[in-house]
Amino acid sequence: MPLKLLKCDVTIPEREKHVYIKEPGEDTTQYLPISNAATIPGTLSERGCSYCGAKLVIGGVLKDTIQMIHGPVGCAYDTWHTKRYPSDNDNFQLKYVWSTNLKEKHIVFGGEKQLKQSIIEAFQEMPDIKRMFIYTTCATALIGDDPKAVAKAVEKELGDVDIFVVECPGFAGVSQSKGHHVLNMGWINEKVGTLEPTITSPYTINFIGDYNIQGDSQVLEKYFHKMGIQIIAHFTGNASYDDLRGMHRAQLNVVNCARSAGYIANELKKRYGIPRLDIDSWGFEYCQDALRKVGAFFGLEDKAEEVIAEEVAKYKEQMEWYRAGLKGKKVCIWTGGPRLWHWTKALEDDLGMTVVAMSSKFGHQEDFEKVIARGNEGTIYIDDANELEFFEVLEMVKPDLVLTGPRVGDLVKKLHLPYINGHAYHNGPYMGFEGSVNMARDMYNAIYSPLMKLAAIDVREKAALEVGV
Amino acid sequence: MSLELKQKERCGIINPMYNCQPAGAQFASIGIKDCIPLVHGGQGCSMFVRLLFAQHFKENFEIASSSVHEEAAVFGAVKRIEEGVMTLAQRYPDLRVIPIITTCSTETIGDDIEGTIRKVNKMLEAEFPGRELHLVAVHTPSYNGSHVSGYNVAVQSLTKTLAKKGEPTGKINFFTGWLNPGDVKQIKHILSEMGVEGNILLDTETFDAPTMPGKDAFAYGSTTVEDFENSANAKGSISLCKYQGASAANFLQTQFQVPSVVTNTPIGIKNTDLFLEEISKMSGQPIPDSLVEERGRAIDAMADLAHMFFANKKVAIFGDPDLVIGLAQFCQEVELEPTLLLLGDDNSAYAKDERLAELEKNATAPMEVIWNADLWELERRVKEGQQIDLIMGHSKGRYVATDNKIPMVRVGFPTFDRAGLWKYPVIGYKGAEWLAETIANTLFVDMEYKKNKEWILNVW
Repeated sequence: MPLKLLKCDVTIPEREKHVYIKEPGEDTTQYLPISNAATIPGTLSERGCSYCGAKLVIGGVLKDTIQMIHGPVGCAYDTWHTKRYPSDNDNFQLKYVWSTNLKEKHIVFGGEKQLKQSIIEAFQEMPDIKRMFIYTTCATALIGDDPKAVAKAVEKELGDVDIFVVECPGFAGVSQSKGHHVLNMGWINEKVGTLEPTITSPYTINFIGDYNIQGDSQVLEKYFHKMGIQIIAHFTGNASYDDLRGMHRAQLNVVNCARSAGYIANELKKRYGIPRLDIDSWGFEYCQDALRKVGAFFGLEDKAEEVIAEEVAKYKEQMEWYRAGLKGKKVCIWTGGPRLWHWTKALEDDLGMTVVAMSSKFGHQEDFEKVIARGNEGTIYIDDANELEFFEVLEMVKPDLVLTGPRVGDLVKKLHLPYINGHAYHNGPYMGFEGSVNMARDMYNAIYSPLMKLAAIDVREKAALEVGV
Repeated sequence: MSLELKQKERCGIINPMYNCQPAGAQFASIGIKDCIPLVHGGQGCSMFVRLLFAQHFKENFEIASSSVHEEAAVFGAVKRIEEGVMTLAQRYPDLRVIPIITTCSTETIGDDIEGTIRKVNKMLEAEFPGRELHLVAVHTPSYNGSHVSGYNVAVQSLTKTLAKKGEPTGKINFFTGWLNPGDVKQIKHILSEMGVEGNILLDTETFDAPTMPGKDAFAYGSTTVEDFENSANAKGSISLCKYQGASAANFLQTQFQVPSVVTNTPIGIKNTDLFLEEISKMSGQPIPDSLVEERGRAIDAMADLAHMFFANKKVAIFGDPDLVIGLAQFCQEVELEPTLLLLGDDNSAYAKDERLAELEKNATAPMEVIWNADLWELERRVKEGQQIDLIMGHSKGRYVATDNKIPMVRVGFPTFDRAGLWKYPVIGYKGAEWLAETIANTLFVDMEYKKNKEWILNVW
């Protein structure tokens, strides 16, 4: 019975197909939880919308671009101050968001005029900024506004601006994942190849699927630069709009997050013949593998070994120290999707931890194939887990730590369980060699914090014992 | 002195200072016990708002989504409500209220919420005979108003649906508006000192949930279905925020003859005096010595600071209209000069608010009030060199302060970049004292960092 109907799900038995417990001798040809399917209304799922997948995850990272959200104010308000992706230009992308502030009259008469005026105002108020993303939302998609036509007209009128339109209203698809797809395909169709990058090295890559959470991208760039490799475009960590227009000139696409950005890597292969190399940029061992693979591609094996030797020498001792403390600790990974398969084996191999339960918000079948292949027997794998399922799973696996978002983190705290922010990190970056140490340190500090032990003490019982009652 | 009142001239928004209506409705809903709202729209409409609440409170709140998808645009999405309500009812046996909160998508599609509720009520009766589960239609299209009106609509819808005539309770309804749990705690403190029984709508004090040895404490709202029912049987209603909750009180007056008083939001000494007078009038209870002492302590603390550190400092304030106006009134009591007020959304009623006329009368420096404002209005003025010595507002304005090195006191919602602020009151005498001292300490740190006569503090 590897697919499991949890007790809290007896009234929604279709959830059985989304929960899998791996048993000896099984593989994904026999059992694979259903994923990327519509959420049952009212289940208190963790999923967001496809607009979020486009704006908050990928587009909003760009450090030199106006993010114009064509819809009521909430879609802009809510996707601002909700991410930790810095940049090397004083964090322009964290500081601003734009909304067309759609009102009822626009629902009735159309919002295109409002959009056009808002675009022109935005460029006028910040004359140094010449690039813009426009996102449609539920309301503007339903009324049938044509933002592409508006963008074209403004480009013509202003002459020196470039605008990209993402049409992914929140109700499209079943999760954030749809927004990733729409943005990837739109960008390759409309913007890649429209600007020639300056080539500064005989070895060029695009680094795809990393969003500079707490400076991840900057850590990775350091390694590649040491190897003499030019990163033409980082999709999209710390990237500028125009970097991404030159993606067609790279010799290799190095892909970390295959879920959110595998699409554009595949298209670059199809259309421009650029090979795709999937790596894991989290994990101490994985990182060495990644650099070796890239080195092998370019014939830069020696350079890769140099970087690896230098980094390993710097951080190995710390990793070993944390490993001693973390060995055998049980951990849950409840994040978006890809981190399940990036992290599960890394936490085991690097630190000796055991991943006992995993939940993905928006992973697809191929993500579950990867994670189940890398994951343990006895581990619980869930697609789109909801609140009651989380409680039940905690009771089943009794973890020492949960890697998840702050909201679920607030919840497990009441159960005396520490959490580490699996989306935005506690104190990252978490990628690369130094990132692996940071992550180990945060997990160690969380597990060994005195507070959760204090929380378990009932001071009344202690006092009663002392007075001999 | 002059007070210039105008609307933002740009049509778009750069850095919004307010959220959309469904966010306000969700905030009202989490204040109710045994309640999970069902947000009828795309999943982001609830997921982001839950995140926002978690950012502010560092707590988790239960909010469900009807997960509306593409096919709804063609066929409507009422089936998603049916399924959502039944799923909630099946899996949460203690659930007593489900506000069904609409959004821009489902209002544009034109889903028949009331008709669906009638149908689902029959389904519930068939599956759970005799179970009491209230479904409340809350119409909050995101393209109207803001979270301010969304909160107001939700409290009104809940009151209209749940209030019912019964035995008089002798209590007074307090419609809090979107205040912080620290403020609600302060209301209860005042009532307890006065010996008055209040019916708090909505009681968010329990949002401050402990981590307990028994692992059984979670954040929740404390206002019950009975509290809403009995709102019709109260002695009267006092609303603390004109634009958030007062409509419900007015409904109770019209429908059930429960007298309704809308007070100035009790920020500062004078506004708190008015608040206590209203409570005293309505309850017949005198104002006790203990509160007179609290008042005295606040004035004592404020007097230590006012002309020494506050006088003639120019203050910009942004946020919800009742909060901003109340804070401006407080500023005038301590000799701070509120020179720029930014009020959210396009509600033209702000222009006629009587409190603005009073602010103008008491002003010692020219004032500018902008409605339908965004935070770019603040940033642009700062960049153009307008003198602003202190910013008061929520955390979304943090970069205007930090990038331009202007001291800022976080107040209102959300205040995610400071620890635990929501546990403290800004209302009542205690709130006035807290505000004065928090402003002072913020200015002191700024003096030290900028080496701006910081040595004054050597002998203060």
